[in-house]
Amino acid sequence: MKLRGKKSDDKIETQMAPMIDVVFQLLIFFMLTLKIIEPEGDFNINMPIAAPSQQQNDEINLPDIKVRLEAAENGLLNSLKLGGQNLGNDENAFLRLNAEILKIIGRPGNPLTKDVEVEIDADYGLNYEYVIRAVSACTGRFDQNSKQVVRYVEKIKFAPPRREGAPGA
Amino acid sequence: MRIKATKADVNEVDMTPMIDIVFQLIAFFMVITNFENAKADERVKLPKDELAKPVEIKREKELLLQIGFIRNKEGDKLSDPLVFYAGEEIPVLEISPALTRENASYKSIGVDPKDVTVVIRADREVPTGLVQEMIKFSQEAGFEKFAMKATQKQDGN
Repeated sequence: MKLRGKKSDDKIETQMAPMIDVVFQLLIFFMLTLKIIEPEGDFNINMPIAAPSQQQNDEINLPDIKVRLEAAENGLLNSLKLGGQNLGNDENAFLRLNAEILKIIGRPGNPLTKDVEVEIDADYGLNYEYVIRAVSACTGRFDQNSKQVVRYVEKIKFAPPRREGAPGA
Repeated sequence: MRIKATKADVNEVDMTPMIDIVFQLIAFFMVITNFENAKADERVKLPKDELAKPVEIKREKELLLQIGFIRNKEGDKLSDPLVFYAGEEIPVLEISPALTRENASYKSIGVDPKDVTVVIRADREVPTGLVQEMIKFSQEAGFEKFAMKATQKQDGN
């Protein structure tokens, strides 16, 4: 019996079809799992369990800055107060707060005032959005020229929640 | 002169450009797919702020707590504020047992709950008091570090 010798091909042909199948599967997987999310950042808050700021030490303690946010019935901001000073409730209130904080700390990164704490005392029913804006106004500001964040106060804490008698409670 | 006749049994399509493009697409989708944030619940509409910068150093241990509302397609609230925790919806004031369980599970794997950062993703319309209550419950459960999430403000918002 004579076996017929096969003539070898000039070019080795790879099988493309399975690879393309798999590649399309991958493509579809990544397309379906794609979820466009806005970048998120966060603010650290300083709330040790030992709680309400009862650290007595001999250093000259700068008084805590107290920021008070009062809510209207519907959760919107009624007034923003720094200490006893009313800063209003409009869009610029937080800018004013930002400027006042800068006045208190002197200049950003001031070593004398780096331990200053800000206590945020908000009404129970106030929308959380305003608290974030207040925290942001105390934390620093975004410098448009250098595109950098200028830090004012690093230590932010919350006053205990006011459950009674607050609107929305 | 003799012209050699080319023999073509099958009409072969050139696959190379298509594969090139498909690989490009795969690479693109792989790069922009973000598996890190996959835990973030879409029902929580975070507040926006320009100072909210993504963390540069990734925290080792974090516990994500999300407070939001169930909303309809128009964005109207259909429920009271709820904590979206482990696939369940729990009223904020009843979250304590879950936090105690978290504490126990961290301890069982040898992690001090004091080193765990509680990351709070709260909806912009949640009453602040509830966020504070949740911080209080977390403190009672033994957690100490907190961070609050916000989305980066885009220009014009």
